[in-house]
This record gives sequence, C-alpha cells and structure tokens, in this order.
Amino acid sequence: MEQLINDLKVQIKEALHLEELQLEDFDENTPLFGEDGIGLDSIDILEIVVLLEKEYGIRMSNPKEGKAIFHSVRTIAEYVQKVKSE
Amino acid sequence: MKNWAGTTYGNEWMHKWLIRMLRYIDVRLLYLFAAVFIIPVCLLLNPSCGFAYRFFRQRFGYGRLKSAWKTYVNHCLFAGAVIDKFAMYAGKKFDIEIEGGDHFRDLAERQEGFVLLSAHIGNYEIAGYTLVCQNKRINALVYAGEKASVMKNRDRMFAATNTRMIAISQDMSHLFEIDKALADGEIVSMPADRSSGSQKYILHDFLGAKARFPLGPFSASRVHLLNVLAVNVMKTSLRRYKIYVTPLPYDRSATREEQIRQLSSAYVAELERRVRQYPTQWYNYFEFWEEIES
Repeated sequence: MEQLINDLKVQIKEALHLEELQLEDFDENTPLFGEDGIGLDSIDILEIVVLLEKEYGIRMSNPKEGKAIFHSVRTIAEYVQKVKSE
Repeated sequence: MKNWAGTTYGNEWMHKWLIRMLRYIDVRLLYLFAAVFIIPVCLLLNPSCGFAYRFFRQRFGYGRLKSAWKTYVNHCLFAGAVIDKFAMYAGKKFDIEIEGGDHFRDLAERQEGFVLLSAHIGNYEIAGYTLVCQNKRINALVYAGEKASVMKNRDRMFAATNTRMIAISQDMSHLFEIDKALADGEIVSMPADRSSGSQKYILHDFLGAKARFPLGPFSASRVHLLNVLAVNVMKTSLRRYKIYVTPLPYDRSATREEQIRQLSSAYVAELERRVRQYPTQWYNYFEFWEEIES
C-alpha cells in the first residue's frame, strides 16, 4: 500500500504539473480538492481519472462514487487496491 | 468569471400553458405578442438590457440609437429562441440547414467518441433534435437548476434522438459521466463560453478585448485526445435555422496546456466569426469583459 501511495503521489504531481508541491509535503491524507487541501479542482480530476486508466487499467464504474474515491491519495490507493484484488 | 443559474425564465405552469398554446396557434403570433408587450417591459426592468446595450456600443462600436435598437432586436430574438424551443416541445417543425454536417457524420461513423462545444448564441437546443446519431449516444451537459417542465420535455424529445442529459452536479459525478461516455466512444456536448464548475479560465482576445473563457470544457475535450467540433445554431429567418459545424484542431502531441490553448483559440475564433455574422443573437447577459476592462 505504501509503495502504491508513493507511486500515485509522483504520478499525480507529474500529470498535473504540480512543480511547486514537494513530495515530502504531499500527505496522502490531505484532501486533494478545496482550500483545505492541495487545491485541485474539477478540471484536474479528469486528469487523475485518465491516469488511473493508463497506469492501472482502472475505469470508474459508478460516477456517484467519484468524489469519495478522489478525496485523497490514500482513498485513491485504497480504491486501486480494491479493484485490483477483485 | 460569472456562473449562470441555468434556468429558463418563467414557472412550470407558464411553460405548460405555452406548450398547449403553441399546439394550436402560429408561433408568429407569439413573436408579435412578445415584441409588443413583453420585451419593452423586460427592457425596463431587466439588467440584461444594459449588458446588451454595452455589448453593441463597446464591442461593435454602434452609436447610441443603433445600440438601443439592436438591444431591442436582440431581446426579441432571444424571446423567439425560447418560443421556438417550446414550439418544438409542442411538435412544431423548423427548416434546418447544416453547414459542415460532413464533419459530424464522418466522426459519427468512427469507433471513438468526440466532443461538441456550443455557446449561448442562437438556439443550440435545435441542434439536439437535428444532429442525430443512431449508433452513438449524445450526452448533453446541462445545468441542474433547469425547470422540471423543461427537463421533462427535453427528456421526451431527446428520447427519440439517442440523446441523454448529464446534469452538472455538486458531487462532480458529471465529470465521471463525461469521462465514461467519451471512453465508451460516445459523443459529449457542452457549452464552452460560461463557467460550469471550475473557476479556472483562459484569456483570449474576443471581439476586440480580453475575455475569460472557462478551462473546463477544453481540458475535458482533450483528455482522451479526441476530435472536437464547434456547433452553433443561428436563426436565419422566422422559421429557419442554420447549424454551423466546425472542426477545432489541436496538436495531439503538444503539452496539456498547449492543447488547451490551441483548442480554446480555435473555439473563440469560430465564436467570434459567428457573433460578427449574427451580432443580435448573442445571449450572454452579463459583463463578459467586465473584470478585465475595469
């Protein structure tokens, strides 16, 4: 799980060109969206969706779950792990 | 950048009666009624009057009298567009001419999905009943706040045209639905001249001044590196519309930022072309250029 979290951090940082964000400051529990978190918004979410498709072969099956899955790097990692194990 | 409440004027009761009336009377009678009794009152009470007047004064350089007249014509045409929408719900037909329809048909025959970008000019909803694709579903992004009567009639009309609506949602589920539709080889249609969620924007020279355009539609369009078409539907006479379908090119190998810049530039150039051609069919009643110019 920790390896997956670290990989996701690097991939998200690269996909969204978050040059100013240091990996050591990128906490896996910090919300990705909103002012209290990393500050991503709805435009960025599609990039992460495509990232999951390309890197992990995972496609969202239920759009209603999206907001909860993309809450933080940890929730994304948990979702990836869950789908991979099914 | 301004958000729009995304709802058709009037309550559900008014909409129902309008549809009933339009089943029996000529739309021209309603155009006349609106032009004589409704529009003059709206011009006095509604802030849209000032926005439209400044649009003609500042963007087209018209004189005071001409701008005032164009503002009146603009509101009459807007009322006409709304009447025509309800006339279609009531079963009335319009003559439709399509320029660039081959672009749509060519992409419709391919396996992959594609994107249609519209604007709040003319009467885009007419395209939803005309640009039909039997082997590909069209997913139209709509504002969730629209009146139930409008949504119900759209549902009924769109059911026959292999089209479904995706409502913009606070839980961002519309983004996943857009992504899923495009990944499944379907068509996604969305407006690209107003913000519908993200407040990120890109600046473009538009009609002689800098204007803000939302990044979201362009970012979503290029995410699967699919083809993108601009679709604008303009009223050309009382019973006739013309649909303009224009490909928006971008370099698939460029960076994300460059692709967004290229796509949005092509979209804005096409929008400017149509607005210059039909200046009185511009229906963005807010200060499109306000924040930049102040």
